[in-house]
Amino acid sequence: MEALDQAAPKIRLDGISKEYIVPRTGQRTLAIADVSLDIVQGEFLCIVGPSGCGKSTILNMIAGLAEPSAGTVAMDGAPIRAPGSERGVVFQDYALFPWKTVRENIEFGPRFRSDARLGAAERDKLVRHYIDLVSLTGAEHKYPHELSGGMRQRCAFARALANEPEVLLMDEPFAALDAQTRLILQEELLRIWGEDLPRAERKTVIFITHGIDEAVFLADRVAVMSNHPGRIKTVMDIDLPRPRRESLRATSEFQTLADEIWQLIRREAYEATIDRR
Amino acid sequence: MNLALRLRPFVLPALLLILWQLAAMQAAPADRMPVPADVLATGWTLIASGELPLALLQSLQRVMLGFATSAALALVLGTAMAAYRPVGRNLDPIIESFRPIAPIALLPLAILWFGTGTPAAAFIVGYAAFFPMIVNTIHGVRSIDPGLIRAARTLGVGRLTILRTVVLPGALPNLFVGARLALGVAWTSIIAAELAVGAKAGGGASGGIGQMMFVFYAYSVDLSGIIVCMIGVGVVALLIDRGVRALEYWMIPWKR
Ligand SMILES: Nc1ncnc2c1ncn2[C@@H]1O[C@H](COP(=O)(O)OP(=O)(O)O)[C@@H](O)[C@H]1O
Ligand SMILES: [Mg+2]
Repeated sequence: MEALDQAAPKIRLDGISKEYIVPRTGQRTLAIADVSLDIVQGEFLCIVGPSGCGKSTILNMIAGLAEPSAGTVAMDGAPIRAPGSERGVVFQDYALFPWKTVRENIEFGPRFRSDARLGAAERDKLVRHYIDLVSLTGAEHKYPHELSGGMRQRCAFARALANEPEVLLMDEPFAALDAQTRLILQEELLRIWGEDLPRAERKTVIFITHGIDEAVFLADRVAVMSNHPGRIKTVMDIDLPRPRRESLRATSEFQTLADEIWQLIRREAYEATIDRR
Repeated sequence: MNLALRLRPFVLPALLLILWQLAAMQAAPADRMPVPADVLATGWTLIASGELPLALLQSLQRVMLGFATSAALALVLGTAMAAYRPVGRNLDPIIESFRPIAPIALLPLAILWFGTGTPAAAFIVGYAAFFPMIVNTIHGVRSIDPGLIRAARTLGVGRLTILRTVVLPGALPNLFVGARLALGVAWTSIIAAELAVGAKAGGGASGGIGQMMFVFYAYSVDLSGIIVCMIGVGVVALLIDRGVRALEYWMIPWKR
């Protein structure tokens, strides 16, 4: 880990809480309470935790789609107040535009964003690059409903990347995929993120999952959350060498880390199963 | 064999026509029962003279004028009502209280305000087309997946651009439902409007298919002429609907 903690944070969550008020009943839910966390440039942070602990809530606040009830969320020292093209999001349900082809979805940001739009020629080059990068070559002119789950995920990923954000926010992006596709996409994600690049040139990634193996395989650090209200319980360093390959999963270091995290959230996960009515 | 198969859909209509012809020849007095052979002859004359196509074309122009104006208004208002709660809350009661008033009930006003020509007819048509259009616009805009709007916002796209690139295409299938219904009622009400405007204008030249029917009814008592007009109205209605559907097929390629 090269000087992870001395660097000024890329994203800073400072004592944030979020209370939802259901308008119909006036009922209040404290979704997350007093969450503080610094994420540095080029870091790959995974957030794990039981369903409903507030992972999406945190991600939405970093995206600028929601505001904290208390505390501040800042990027490069400036408070985040609205969504912006410097923070890209990959949603769990992909949120691809059904009326746009793969190509049109991917060029959406560079073409329509309010600042620094690209002309047709530049866009064409950029889009072709990202289509190749996520291996969607040949599917450019298909509509989302004509794609497999894995291809839709690739398309959503490419759409976020083509906007060239500094920070990439991913909310359980692989949750809807079958196990094999998920493993393949995890390795690809690391390759595209640029495991062999120096930290300063990598994108900062915040990746939500409830797969513990997935978190350990991908992350530099894993934030483990607890429920009622959502808090960050522990942040674990994952000191596994990069580039990471499939064979890593079988090593005892990997297993030990995964097991440690599992012990941390086990009780909560158990309670979550009996809380669901 | 192949020919017989192809002719099959025409067998029943042909039989009915023959029956109609026979029944009409039995019935008396003859001027109360139109005869297919006469209808055919009248139809041919009216087409050949250009009267029927001209009347239909004039009515169609009024329908398009009324529809286009009112669809544009409904599109803007409906989008505003669906996208901004306060606008919707305030306009909804007004629109809903006008909706049960039949287009034809506005005729006296329309004639007083606009006289007996195209503006009056287009006004009635526009009024009729407005409601199906606005109801479907509101529904279309409301039913857009909010996740798509969030996705566009996170890509740094501004609100007006989102309206054009996400809301409009997302609502398009419903806009087409609205347009088909609106053109349907517009075409229905042009006949009524022209019939009534025609009654007011007498035999004067307000034109249109409705007025043509009125003249056949009130002046020459020509039953065959009326039937020919009815058939013309049906054919145009069918063509309008097919046209909108073709446009829809072309403009919504992702739903094919
Ligand atoms: N818009 C909302 N209104 C009310 N409650 C909400 C809303 N969004 C989320 N919540 C509640 O906040 C809590 C955290 O939700 P979320 O962030 O989606 O959790 P996670 O992503 O970890 O599953 C849950 O209890 C959820 O019911
Ligand atoms: Mg979630």
